[in-house]
Amino acid sequence: MTAESRTTAGVHDLVVVGAGPAGLAAALAARARGLDVVVVDEQQQPGGQIFRRPSGGLTAAGHRWPAGYPWGPDLLARAAASDVTWRPRTTALGVLRGEAGTPLRLAVSGPDGPDALAAHRLLVATGAYDMPVALPGWTLPGVVTAGAAQGLLKSQRVLVGHRPVLVGAHPLLLLVADQLVAAGAHVAEVVLARGVPGPAEAVRALPAAPGHVGLLAASTAAVGRLLRAGVRIRTRTLPTRVLGEDRVEGVELRRVDSAWRPVGPARTVAADAVVLGFGFHASTELARQAGCATRWDGAGGGWVVTHDGAQRTSVPDVLVAGEPAGVRGAEQARAEGHLAGLVAARDLGAAVTGRDLDRAHRAVARARRFSDVVQRVFAPDLTGLTALATPGTLVCRCESVTRATVERTLAANPHVSTANAVKLECRTGMGTCQGRYCEATVGALVERATGRPMDQVGPFTAHLPVKPVPLAELAALGELAAAPPEPAPSTPAPCAPVPATHLP
Amino acid sequence: MSGAVDGGPRAGRVAGPRGAGFALRVDGRDVTAYDGESIAAALLAGGVEAFRTTADGEARAPFCHMGTCFECVVRVNGRSLRACLTPATPGDDVGRVDEREPDERRAG
Repeated sequence: MTAESRTTAGVHDLVVVGAGPAGLAAALAARARGLDVVVVDEQQQPGGQIFRRPSGGLTAAGHRWPAGYPWGPDLLARAAASDVTWRPRTTALGVLRGEAGTPLRLAVSGPDGPDALAAHRLLVATGAYDMPVALPGWTLPGVVTAGAAQGLLKSQRVLVGHRPVLVGAHPLLLLVADQLVAAGAHVAEVVLARGVPGPAEAVRALPAAPGHVGLLAASTAAVGRLLRAGVRIRTRTLPTRVLGEDRVEGVELRRVDSAWRPVGPARTVAADAVVLGFGFHASTELARQAGCATRWDGAGGGWVVTHDGAQRTSVPDVLVAGEPAGVRGAEQARAEGHLAGLVAARDLGAAVTGRDLDRAHRAVARARRFSDVVQRVFAPDLTGLTALATPGTLVCRCESVTRATVERTLAANPHVSTANAVKLECRTGMGTCQGRYCEATVGALVERATGRPMDQVGPFTAHLPVKPVPLAELAALGELAAAPPEPAPSTPAPCAPVPATHLP
Repeated sequence: MSGAVDGGPRAGRVAGPRGAGFALRVDGRDVTAYDGESIAAALLAGGVEAFRTTADGEARAPFCHMGTCFECVVRVNGRSLRACLTPATPGDDVGRVDEREPDERRAG
């Protein structure tokens, strides 16, 4: 990858947002067909959350690649060797539109300040983030997501706590617990809202899992190691409260029924960290700001971007791949990314064979057979999770808005029937995370109060900038938005032949 | 199995090779960081409990560690940055965010 500090002139063929499996596979496929490709990512190194690695002096300790994705090291090596333009530590802020017929420009903010990247095609490969669960005490220091616990360990070699409790419903939690134990943590307990998938479920999943047997085996091995290490694994149990004044001191747990309703008495477990792993939300704010149509898919990551089966969104020059199109894991993200790269190349006039496209479609279909099973078996019970918030529980972490405030707003404003209207009335979702951590809870509360389905309750509207930027940069962004668009070439950039080493 | 070393009251570094250590200034006190660490990791391992104090006086700390939640935003050499995405560099001057009115701050 070529580092580029700044581009202000020229129109790129393809700008990819997100350097995870989807974004990298797309960038490589498009570059191999001659496109001029830029990849934008917030992290220092490509790979996405799944392949987070140490950097600098921390690399001395070595790195273990996640089990189940044998193609990971090769994908990253090919990305590193390719000449796609790499913009690390750069946040995508939103799509700027000029006059009709001019290419879109992606506003970004990086180490050198704001910039705008003109492009014939934009690929949204922004991944997913851990699903927030608003339960009493979830804002205390020491409560973190499973992704945070894993990221801190993998990229920083830091344990989130010496005695963590892990609570959730996603199989990732078992892998994280295993990694924490291996790093020296005394995991107090692993608590799952559902029963651990038994042998019968695992066997049913196997035919749908060519190439995924390693991942299933890794999960099974992790459970075995946890049990041998004496870690207690409790199923059909939910956290009902995190205990502590200024930091986590423990967690209150209760047995739940199959609808995740607490049925048993409360018990408490002492802990210095609580790790939440209930599943994932698709990161779709950039796609939404760009105008892409979305639909609600509770099991598939909340609001997900719709596409035409070839990764084209409802906006003609914007494609989507990976988790924002439905949270389905790294294997499918890579397959969708590769397809998106080919489709972008073909739509811009590059030579892409029908055989290559067929193969790419088949790879997506193959990955989907596995991800369908995972989605079905591990779908979070959003009604049960919403019920964990008591009236005094903060729904919006940023603006400190409680569940009671949201419900009072709904009661006082009978005309309010969308998540967006609630946001405007009581500031939930108006803080720095821009609604990412309260949107689904607010939506569920509106659904509950009005009886309207989530598709009508709707998401929050995403505005430019989709992530907050300092005021000075915002002013510069305004100038970029007002600047006349770059002259658009009448045809896409010529597709130059690419050395064979770039071919995926 | 290795134990955590050089830890704060909660989070801690896993034993193993690290790069060069250096000091950060965090609200006037020194916190050690090692080459390759993010500011968030250095603060957590250095025993910093609260990255932000809300207007209601509640302590907050990193939640997502992937740049989405913005709970780890601190002032780094005068710029508001997400600590989890910002590599620590020698001599960084880090200021935590306190949203309380000035006369309410002494209690915390």
